[in-house]
Parts: sequence; C-alpha cells; structure tokens
Amino acid sequence: MDSSWLPTLLALAWLTPLASFVFILFFGKHAGPHGRFAGTVATGAIVFSCVLSFVAMFGAWLPNNELPEAHHGDHAAGGDHDEHAEDGEHADEADHETFIRPAASPFLLASSGGDRGTISLVADTAEGEGDSAEHHIAPNGKPPAVYGVFYNLVTFGKLKLDISYYIDALTVTMFCVVTLIASCVHFYAIGYMHDELHEPYTDHEVTLTDGTHLVRKGRFYRFFQYLSLFCFSMLGIVIAGNLAMAFVFWELVGICSYFLIGFYIERHSASTAANKAFIVNRVGDFGMLIGMMALWSSLGTFAFGDTQNDQGEVTEPGMFSVLRTEENHYALAPTESMEVEGARVVGEGEEGESSHAGQWLLLIAGVGVFCGCVGKSAQFPLHVWLPDAMEGPTPVSALVHSATMVAAGVYLTGRVYPIFTPEALLVIAVIGCITLFVAATIAITALDIKRVLAYSTVSQLGYMMLALGIGGWSAGIFHLITHACFKGLLFMCSGSVIHAVHTNDMSYMGGLRKKMPITAYTMLVGCLAIIGAGIPTSMYGLSGYYSKDAIIEQAWSFAGANRGNPLLSILLIAPVIGAAITAFYMFRLWYMTFAGEPRDHHRYDHAHESPRVMTMPLVVLAVCAIAIGWSVPGTNLSITSLLEQAQPVGTTPGAEGVLAENLVVPAEQLSHVKAVKIPAGWAAFSAAAFGVLLATIIYLWRMLNPAEIRDSFKPLYAFLWNKWYFDELYDLIFVKPTHWISGLIAKFDRGIIDGIIHGTAATAKAAASIVSNVGDRTLVDGTVNAFANRTWDFGLMLRRLQTGSLRTYVLAIAMGTWITYMLVSFIMVARGTG
Amino acid sequence: MNLQTIVNSLISDTVTTSLPLFKPELVLCVTIVVLLVTRLFPGLNKIPPFAIALLGGIVALWASLPAGGIADWAKIERQELFTGMLTYDAVTAFIRVFLMAFAVLFIVLARLTGLADREDGQDFYCLAFGSIIGMCIMASANHLLTLFLGVEMASVPSYVLSGVVKGRRRSSEAALKYAVYGAGTAGVMLYGVSLLAGILGSAHLPTMAQQLVEFDIAGKLAEGDQYMQVLVLALGGLMLGVGLAFKLSAVPFHFWCPDVFEGASAEVDGFLSVASKAAALALLVRVGIGFGHVPGETPESVAAAARPTATVQLAAAAADVPPAVRLIADEAPVTDGDAETADAAADTGPLSPVRSFFVQVVGIVSVITCTFGNLAAYGQKNIKRMLAYSTIAHAGYMMMPVAAAVALVGRDQAAAGDAVSSMLLYAAFYLFMNLGAFAIIAFLRNSMQSEQIDDYAGLIGRSPLVALCLTGILVSLVGIPPMAGFIGKFRIFQSLVEAGGPLMMFMLVAAGLNTAISLVYYLRVCKTVCIDSPPDTSRPVALGFFASAYVLALSLPVLAFGILPNSIAQWAQAATAGLFG
Amino acid sequence: MHHFMLANLLTEPVGVAHYMAVGAVLFVCGVLCMALKRNALGVLMGIELVLNGANLNFIAFGSRFLRGEGQGLGLDGPLMALFVIVLAAAEAAVALAIVLNFYNNYDSVDIDRADQLQG
Repeated sequence: MDSSWLPTLLALAWLTPLASFVFILFFGKHAGPHGRFAGTVATGAIVFSCVLSFVAMFGAWLPNNELPEAHHGDHAAGGDHDEHAEDGEHADEADHETFIRPAASPFLLASSGGDRGTISLVADTAEGEGDSAEHHIAPNGKPPAVYGVFYNLVTFGKLKLDISYYIDALTVTMFCVVTLIASCVHFYAIGYMHDELHEPYTDHEVTLTDGTHLVRKGRFYRFFQYLSLFCFSMLGIVIAGNLAMAFVFWELVGICSYFLIGFYIERHSASTAANKAFIVNRVGDFGMLIGMMALWSSLGTFAFGDTQNDQGEVTEPGMFSVLRTEENHYALAPTESMEVEGARVVGEGEEGESSHAGQWLLLIAGVGVFCGCVGKSAQFPLHVWLPDAMEGPTPVSALVHSATMVAAGVYLTGRVYPIFTPEALLVIAVIGCITLFVAATIAITALDIKRVLAYSTVSQLGYMMLALGIGGWSAGIFHLITHACFKGLLFMCSGSVIHAVHTNDMSYMGGLRKKMPITAYTMLVGCLAIIGAGIPTSMYGLSGYYSKDAIIEQAWSFAGANRGNPLLSILLIAPVIGAAITAFYMFRLWYMTFAGEPRDHHRYDHAHESPRVMTMPLVVLAVCAIAIGWSVPGTNLSITSLLEQAQPVGTTPGAEGVLAENLVVPAEQLSHVKAVKIPAGWAAFSAAAFGVLLATIIYLWRMLNPAEIRDSFKPLYAFLWNKWYFDELYDLIFVKPTHWISGLIAKFDRGIIDGIIHGTAATAKAAASIVSNVGDRTLVDGTVNAFANRTWDFGLMLRRLQTGSLRTYVLAIAMGTWITYMLVSFIMVARGTG
Repeated sequence: MNLQTIVNSLISDTVTTSLPLFKPELVLCVTIVVLLVTRLFPGLNKIPPFAIALLGGIVALWASLPAGGIADWAKIERQELFTGMLTYDAVTAFIRVFLMAFAVLFIVLARLTGLADREDGQDFYCLAFGSIIGMCIMASANHLLTLFLGVEMASVPSYVLSGVVKGRRRSSEAALKYAVYGAGTAGVMLYGVSLLAGILGSAHLPTMAQQLVEFDIAGKLAEGDQYMQVLVLALGGLMLGVGLAFKLSAVPFHFWCPDVFEGASAEVDGFLSVASKAAALALLVRVGIGFGHVPGETPESVAAAARPTATVQLAAAAADVPPAVRLIADEAPVTDGDAETADAAADTGPLSPVRSFFVQVVGIVSVITCTFGNLAAYGQKNIKRMLAYSTIAHAGYMMMPVAAAVALVGRDQAAAGDAVSSMLLYAAFYLFMNLGAFAIIAFLRNSMQSEQIDDYAGLIGRSPLVALCLTGILVSLVGIPPMAGFIGKFRIFQSLVEAGGPLMMFMLVAAGLNTAISLVYYLRVCKTVCIDSPPDTSRPVALGFFASAYVLALSLPVLAFGILPNSIAQWAQAATAGLFG
Repeated sequence: MHHFMLANLLTEPVGVAHYMAVGAVLFVCGVLCMALKRNALGVLMGIELVLNGANLNFIAFGSRFLRGEGQGLGLDGPLMALFVIVLAAAEAAVALAIVLNFYNNYDSVDIDRADQLQG
C-alpha cells in the first residue's frame, strides 16, 4: 500500500470508537438484555481499530519507510555505533558532518572558553574508549512523516485551528500499542463488569443512612460508552497534527477520565476523587495554555509538520521546522520574532542582553507545555490525584490510569521534544527524578494492592520524564511503550485478584497462587518485566530490561557529561536506588498476595480463578510484556528501530545550555558505548537483584519480621506511610498563609466599610465571627482539596462584602470612584513630575 | 447659508441617509406604539400581545440584516447618522442583529414560561423593546449625549423589568436596589460627561479625539504646573467609566448585580446578563476607540507626521518611570536595534497616553472583576445568584480583548480589529450559554418551585434532557473543549497574546488561572445535577414540547459552535474589518 | 498656582470655574444624600441633586458669555441639559413607581428594610 493510505487507515481507526460511542449513547440501553451488547459493540470497534492500526503499520508504513538499525535492544554491539550518525533516511546530512554550532549561542562560545567544544563533549563521556572519541554526531534531519489537514475548523486572523494529522513511526507505533491494550482491556472488562448486568445492582461499598446497601440499575452499557469515548480521545491525541488539536483531545480524555473515575458515583470517595483529578489537571492545563500561547505568539503556528504544495515545496513550515531550520543544521534556535516577542514579554528593555530573550521565551513555552504534562502524567507536585483515581473500576485503572492516558503526558513531551531547550529539559529531568523517587518510597508501605500499583505507575512515569529530560528520547518513549504493556497487565491481574477475594487489602491475601495460577504467574511476568529482569550486558531479557537499562545508561552518560556539577549526579543515583525500591515493592506485593499461607481463610476459600474472558487478555499482555522489546527475528524490525526512525528533528547530537552555561545534554548514542553500558547495566541489575532479595528475605523466607523492621524504623515508616506528609506540607505552604491573609483582609474590609455605617462594635463582632468560623475548620486531607477549601473560604469571605444594604452600595459607588481616582492621579502625578 | 438651506440639508440628510439605517429601532418603536394602542381599545385587545411583539421582533431582526446579507459586512463603511449623534458601521450592524435576535428569543421565552401573561404582556414587551432600543443606541453612540441617553434608555426599563413579578418582596427589593444604584451611577457618569465635554469643548467623540491630540497630554504632564487639567480630564474619564462599569457589572461597581439577579425572575436575568452586557461591551469599544483613535489615522501616518517635540517629551515622560508602572503603550522599543521595525512596533501617536490610560484601567479592572466574580461564586446556594457572579466574571473576560484592541490601535489596526471580533464572538456564544442557562432555570422554577442548587440534586433522573443541556452549558462556561466557550476563551487569549507586553501577559495568566478557579463552582452544580441522589420529596420534572425544543435550540449551538465555529467567527471578523475606516 | 485655587475663585470675576464649583457642591450634596438618607424619597431627591450638578456644568460650558464665542460646547451644552431634565423626570417617575411597589410589600419606604438579598 502507498503511504498515502496512512491518513485514511488511521483516521478510520480513530473514528471507529467514536461511532461506537454514538451508537451506545443512543441505543446502548436497549442493545440486548440490560445493554449487554454494548460491550460487544465497543469491543468490536476497538478490535477493528487495532486491526486497522496493524494494517497501517505493516501494510503502509514499513514498506515505505526503511528502518534504521536499532541501538537500544542491541546490547551486544557495545562500541559499534560509528556509522549510525549518517544512516537511515538522512544520507543528505553527511556533508554537514562537521558539526556547526547553533548560530544562536555565540554567548556560549564566548564564555565557554573553547575548552568544552562538542568534541570534548564526546570525549568526556567516552573517555578511555579510544575508538569513539573522535566522532561528532551530525544532527539528524526531519524524520519521515506524513502531515496534512483533514479539516480546517476555523481561522482567526493568523490563528488557524485545524483537525490535522502528523503521522510518523511514533504515531503508528502508539496506535498499535494503544489499540492493542485497549482491546485486551475491553475483553477483560466484559468479564469484570459482569456484575453491572444484574438488575438491580447492589453496591456493597455504599451504605445508606438506614444501614442497607445502595441498590441501583446496572450501568454496563454506560461503562463501555465512556470507554469508547476515551479510546477515540486518546487516539485523537496520538494522531493530532498540531498542538491545539492535541489540547482539545487532551481535555476530552480528562473528561472521560472524570466520568470513569466517578463511575461508582454513589461512593463518596469516587466522586471526590473524580473532582480532584479534574481540578488538578486543570491547574496543569492552565500552564499548558500559557505555553501554547507563548509558542503561537512567536511562531505563528501550532502545526507539527510542514504544509507542502503539490510540487512538494514547503508553503507553511511547522513549529519544528521554524525552530530547527535546515540552514541552522537543525539546531534549536529561537527565531527573530521570538527575540522580539520575548523582549516584549520578558526583557524590560535591557538592550545588551536581548539575545537571551528568545531563549527565555522558549524556556517559558517549554515549561508551560510541560506543566500540562505534569498534570496529566501525575508528576510531582501534581501527582496527588492519580492514587485517588484508583477509585474507578479496575479496567479503567489498567487502561486509563496506567497504560494510556497518564502516558499521554509523556507522549506529548516526546512529541514536542524539539522545542525544549536544555534548561527546559533539566526542569523535566528534575521533576521526573523527584517523582520517581518519592512515589517509589511511598509504594513500599502501601497495603492496598491498587495503591501500590498506582504509586508504581507514578514512579515509572517519573522514569520516563527523567529519561526525556536527560536526552534519552528513545529510552523514555520506549519505556512508555513497554510500561503500557506490563502495567496494564499488572493492573488487570490485581483486578482479577480483587474480583476473587473482594478486597483491595493485601493483608487479607496470601497463598492465592494455588487458587488462581494463571493470574499469579502472569503477574509474576509483569513483576519481572517492571523490575527489568534480564541477563546483564547481554541481549536477553524481558521488555522492561531494555527500556529501564536504556534509561539508566542515559543517566550514567548524563552524569558523566556533567561531571563539573556533582548535584546533577543525583539524576543518576535516584533512578538506580529507585530500581532497587521498585524491585522490592513489586515482589513484596507478589509475595504478600500469592505466596506463603493464606491470611484470611474465609476469603481464601471463596477465591477462584477468573473466567476465561478475563484470563485470556492477561496471557496476551504477558506475552507482550515479555517480548515487546525484542526485534523480529531475521529483520531489524523492533520498537527501538521504529523509535530510532521517529527521532525528533535535530535532537540526536544532544545540546548544551545557553542560559545555564555548564549544562550538557549528551547525545543518546553515547550511552551505547561499552564504557557506559557495562557499568550501568550491572548497576541496574544489582539494584534490582538487591531489591528482590530483600523482599524475598522479609516476605517469603520470613527471616526478618516486617513488624519488627517497622518498629525499628518507626519515624521513617510513619514518614512514608503518610506519603511524605505532602498533605501537611501543602497545608503549611498554601493553606495557612491563605487562611491568615483572608482573615486579615476580612478584618480590614469589615473595618472600613461597616465602620463608617454601623460603627466599630458590629465590626469587631463580625470579624471575630469570621475568624472563628474560618479558624475552627478542621484541616483534614490537606493537599489540593484543602487548597480548594481555602479558596472556597476566601470566596465565602468575599461574599460577605455583599452586605445587602443599599446605602452601603451607594457609598461604595462614591468611595470606589474616589479611591480609583486617587490611585490614578497619584500614579499620573508621580509619572508626570518625575 | 441661511436657515432654509440648513433645515433642508438637515431634513434630506435625516430622511435619505439616517432613517433608512435606523430601521430596526424604528420598527421596535412602532411595535411599542401598536402594543400600547391595542390596549386602549376594547376591540383591539383581543389580539394577543405576544403575536404583535413576535411579529415586531422578527421584522426588526429582518430589518437589521445588512442590505447585501451578512456576507457584506466587510463592505459596510463607517457613516455618521443624525448629524454625528450615532455612528453606523459593521460593529453596529453586528450588535444590532445580535440584539434583535436576542429580543425574539427573549419574548418567546417570556411567553413559554408565562412571565408575560395576557394581562400584562403589553407592558412587559414594551419595556423589553424600549430597553433594546436603548442598547442599540449604546452600541452606536458617537456623541456623549447619545451615550448617556442610550445607557439610561437601556437601564430605566430594566429597573421595572426586574420588579415585574408583582407581590414578591424580593422582587420589589431587587427593583429598588437596581433603580437607586443605577441612578447613582448614572449621576456620576453624567457628571464625568460634563467634565469631559467642558474641557475638550465638544461632545462629539471624533471631535473630542481631535481635541485630545491638540491637548498635548504628555507635554502638560511633563511641564508640571498644568497637570491639574490632565487630572480633571482623568477624573472625567473615570466617572464616565463608572457608568460603563455599572452596565458591565465590573468590580467595584458590581454590587447591584447579585442582589438584582437573585430577586428578579430568571428570564429577566437572562436579559440583563446577555443583551445588556453585550451592549455595554460595544459601548466600551466605542468609548475606547472614540477617545483613542482619530478616524482615518493609521500607524504609518502617525509615524510619518509625528512631531519631533511630542516624541521627545514622550520619551522624557517615560524615562524616569519605574518599570512596574510604565505604561505598555509608550514603552521604549527593545528590539535588536532595527529602527524601522521599532517605529512600526511601538505606539507613538499623540493619543498614546489616552490609550495607555484606558488600557491600564480596563485591564486591571477586568482582572479584578474576573477573579472576584469567580471567587465569590463559591458557596452560593441560589443558582441565579451563582450565575450572577459568573456573569460578573465573564464581563471581566470579555473586557480583556477590548483592552487589547485599544492597546493595538496605535500599532496594528488589523490586529486591533481582530481583538474586537474576539469579543463579539464570545458575546455571541455567551448569548446561547447564558440565555440557555437562565431559560432552564426558569422552566425548572415553574415545575419545581425552587431555585436552590440543592434542589437540583439528581435532576438527571427526573429530566435527562434538561440536565444534559445544563451540564453542557456549564462546561462551556468554564471553557472546556469541545464546547463553544473554549473557542471563545481561546480567541480572547489569542488577542491578549497579540497585544503583548507585561500587562497583557499578566491578564493572560490571570484569565488562565481563573478558568481553573471557576471550574470548582461550575463542577459543583454539574455534580449536584448529574451525580447526587435526588431528595425523597422530588417530583418528576415535566417540560412541555415547546419548552424542551427551546432549551434544545439554545443548547445545541453551544456544542455545534464548539465543533464548527467557522461561520460565526467569520461574521464576527468581517464585522470588525472596517472598524478603523 | 493650584494651591490658591479657592483664593482665585473669591477674587476673580465670575467665570466657568465658579459654576463648576457650585456644580461640584451640588454633586457632593446629592451623593451624600443618596448614601445617608434612609427614606427612599430622600434618596430620589439626592439623585436629582446629582443630575442638576452636572446640568449646571453643561450650562456653564455651553454659555458663550462665560467662555467666549466659538469656544466651549456651544448649543450642545443647554441641549444636553434639556435632555437630562426630561430624562430625570422619566427616571423619577419610574423610581417612584418602584418605591410605591416597595411600599406595598414592606409597608415602609425605609431602604434599610431592603436587606433580604445579600451574600
């Protein structure tokens, strides 16, 4: 098939779930008994999408785009990477082999004193390797991609909003992964949500005031309706050809997630969690809007790809082409309009340093867009919503809150990767690093099986962000794909367990592997995959082995390149320690659930293996979790080579900081040299092995009593059990000051306005009542909820300004005019007379 | 020239030019007279007033469409009617179509909810049409007298409308508060008008702009002993702004809004929040551009004719100012030294101090209004009161592009026109969102006798259509895609970004943050409607066929325009293309 | 110079400034009346005062005896004043009707009784 088929195929794959959603919306209730066929329709739709995606991959993408040779899975080929710089599609780059500095960084050239050129960048990391020290890496050109516009939504002056597509190897790969996992989850959900087919359905989690459980109608069809809408929105993000469209679908997946978390709406915790997720995400999206506007104002386009006319000439260059021009050898350089715009926004007219204004604007844009990703991918400090989101049904946790939607943040970061300056990348790396470590430690003490997995998800997302931030684009995206498989698997296994024992609490489980062997052993595969089990420095291992090792190698390379700044070596230490912790808590989970003796015999006796419709997806995903990192025998087709092909324009040679002068982001290829690969591989392996060993000693062999350990590390345990006291910290930082200020303002306002009219006695009384009202509120469940509460109180305080007294209002007219006038005249006189 | 020729030319001008362009207002006037006359005669009062009003409204809507259809908006040239009292251009035409369409929808709503019954129908329709005529005059005001008359004509009937439900204490209280507050602000505004007109020696806006050019504000400020005149001018401007702020319900002149919205009936709230606000915004544009722009002036002509002395004084005035209070408009260009682009990019016209004054006041007030409205909406129990605060917040959003437009006038008139069109677009979406919301509230009030948010619990089970429509409208008010509100907000953000500068960036950040803040209280209503379980005493909500159709007709566009905004966006853009003729 | 504005007013021949001063006094009196009177009728009187303060300005600015031929508002001044007078009458009529309605519901014209709507 010609590659012109790609848009058609993928658009069809994208719209099929929408069709299913519309069908279920109108006819779902009446499709079969209790809407049973809604599940069939939705599943059929997503399977059809999946087939189309694979047709697109094997029928239209691969025949037309030759794959480069892969690096990542290729563990044996340590130092053998010389020719990769020019291979693949971009032989035309060969004549630029002598690396020319980005024109935008003359400042760097002057200040770095010449002792740290690009060549020394390579030499730094590959010191002692000899064979690769002389290489410089030419920046790669544009990856092969198909860009076009389906439909022009609206044009506002220079602002165009299109429904467009940008299809490169990453898009096609993500289509396959998303639809594959979604298909498995749909099948699984038919079994898992079976209860909803009973009419009426009794929700045992909800106890009404009279002591009985809530009885309501089954909502089987509605679940699949949301699931279809979600798939449509998620695929919309993947296919989106411009940032604005990505944002629209970004919000749509947020809405779907809101509905799905709140699926058991009668449970108070579910509706609270849904609200929390939505609001926290909006906070991130607000940053994203600012970033988008900063980009648009300076670039004038949201498009990822270039618009070409019939002759193949570029008529409207996309964002990436504008920022990384061919003349500039695909190095990131702020455009002239960015300098001007940046000077208007950032610089207050310091003429001499205006060359940095564009860099600042790029930084703002990059960090702004990343803010949205922080919200959606549950990165620190907005990670608080994801663990609560586990209130949703388990298939939702598997699909939305681990495999796909939360990965959308990572995907978008990877998609707009060419716009990130090294400083923005550092921000990403630091956020990712904090997230992975904090979440991993919290997971150690959690007892709720889904919560352990939720924190594990947050932690793994942190790994991905870290990888992207330190220059490991393929490593990060690769981990996103492998993680989607094994985390989906893990969640579905946990769902199978919960289905069997009707509790989330691991202290009631144990020994279940005899009762439910398929679940137990597929979950073991998932655990091994997530800890990155494999034979160190060889090319044999489970999927997580390749991706996690790639991340740690890149971190190793990054730490080597930034030897001058020891603080940055934390970005290496944290992921290695995190790997040990990951191994520990994953095996703790498996041992507590499946190994040893049953802790609760009543529940154990009633446990049973799940029906085949639920276990088959587990097996499929387990196979994926094992093999998705491998290359197809006899060819060089693998995820890594696909990602190699999709490598964003101009990002192979790494980068050096302009605003932060000593920052070096090393090229990703440099992490494949032996000097990096071998120690990093062993570090990762020994960390994981240590974690597994510790878990085995404590939870399987019982040589140490967990309770005793808990007692001897009581403060630490309490610290982790309370989730690092984030709730309390937010309380202290945001809540208390707001509280204090609002009390003060309330006093002040009442004092001024009422003082004139009613006299001070009433004022004192009212102010006291406000302070006592606000003060008496118990400060529970801090975090964002409490922040919202404080804003709420502040709003209530503002309401009190509306006294209802007409004379106050009239006085307010006079006072308002007078005060405004005084302010304005004061400023004018100050300006006028100097 | 003797009296005869003056009178002749006056008459011919009025009859041939002005009156034909004043048709829609005339149609409404005729309808009012007919409505009153039918009431006088026993035989004629058999004719249902609704039929007359509907006929009048539709004819007025038809008359307000430009001769060549909506596509011809871009070709409409600016004209002065009635010897310069009113101006007619595409923005006037757009707002008039908007208002007439609203009038038709409004009388249909009043009829469906039974607010305008057979006995008092005439009064109700007369008041509404009178107010609409006032709004049309506001939108086309070109003279301080018509400005003031327009505001008063729009306000006085709405005082009565807000108290139109007889025998309800809250309603009469709302009317009293509205009347006293409105009269107070009108007085302040009139005093400001007198100061402005007196100092500039004219009340005709373009002439006043010309006078301002000669007034040489920057020079007077720099000299030191003459700045009193500038201060009086500023006082006049601010007092004029008080009247506008009252109509817009901008903080700190918003006090009437929540009380009146709670006391008045929901239909009237829809009237006040949509039509009145749109007209006030149009008037704000008229004032901002009237004082900040001399017709025929372009940035190029200003750059060419800029008097060296004025420029030097400007620079002197700007030199000593700390960055924090520096006005964006006369900020020194900070480009890489390219003199020509610098000249084109910076606002150096003689009116730039006026513009920057306007931009700063409107900009800061808009941010405060937006934030205040959103915060105070928290914890409201009455849905009308909550939406009143939401209206305040939206007034803040919609003022932002006006500030951006005036900031852009001196630099890039096409972009300034675009900014105004973003306001028009948002106003158009706002019609559907807010009128839809208030219509739903009115229908629900009729069937469940309550306007408390808590009583809406579990509405989805009782009336899925209404609950879905209400949820959609609220989501759109937050500005979440794919609803129309998102497109509108996005467009406003775009205009702010185009205007650029620290103040605009501040407004952008504030607006963005406000969408996150507002989520909390809108979402709370959605949650109550869709998720909470209904109270035990709940009764089924039955809407008639027409009521359901009406609600649907207003809600569907909210989704449709979010997905396909192109046509309406193009109309809005065409309407502002010739704004600076 | 502006420090001696009051002194100037007393010594110079009568001009626009004197009218403006009277107008300003009327305006302030009107605003105070509106803000402090509890009787609704008193508030309405305050409105009249405010409007008339502005009217005085219009007349003064429009007068060619005070500002000289060709300067000032000319005929626009008295015209605007006339319109305002008509409008004030209309507004007063409406306001009185509303006050009457209020009285029907509350048996009082004390505007402090209007306190049901707040928050």
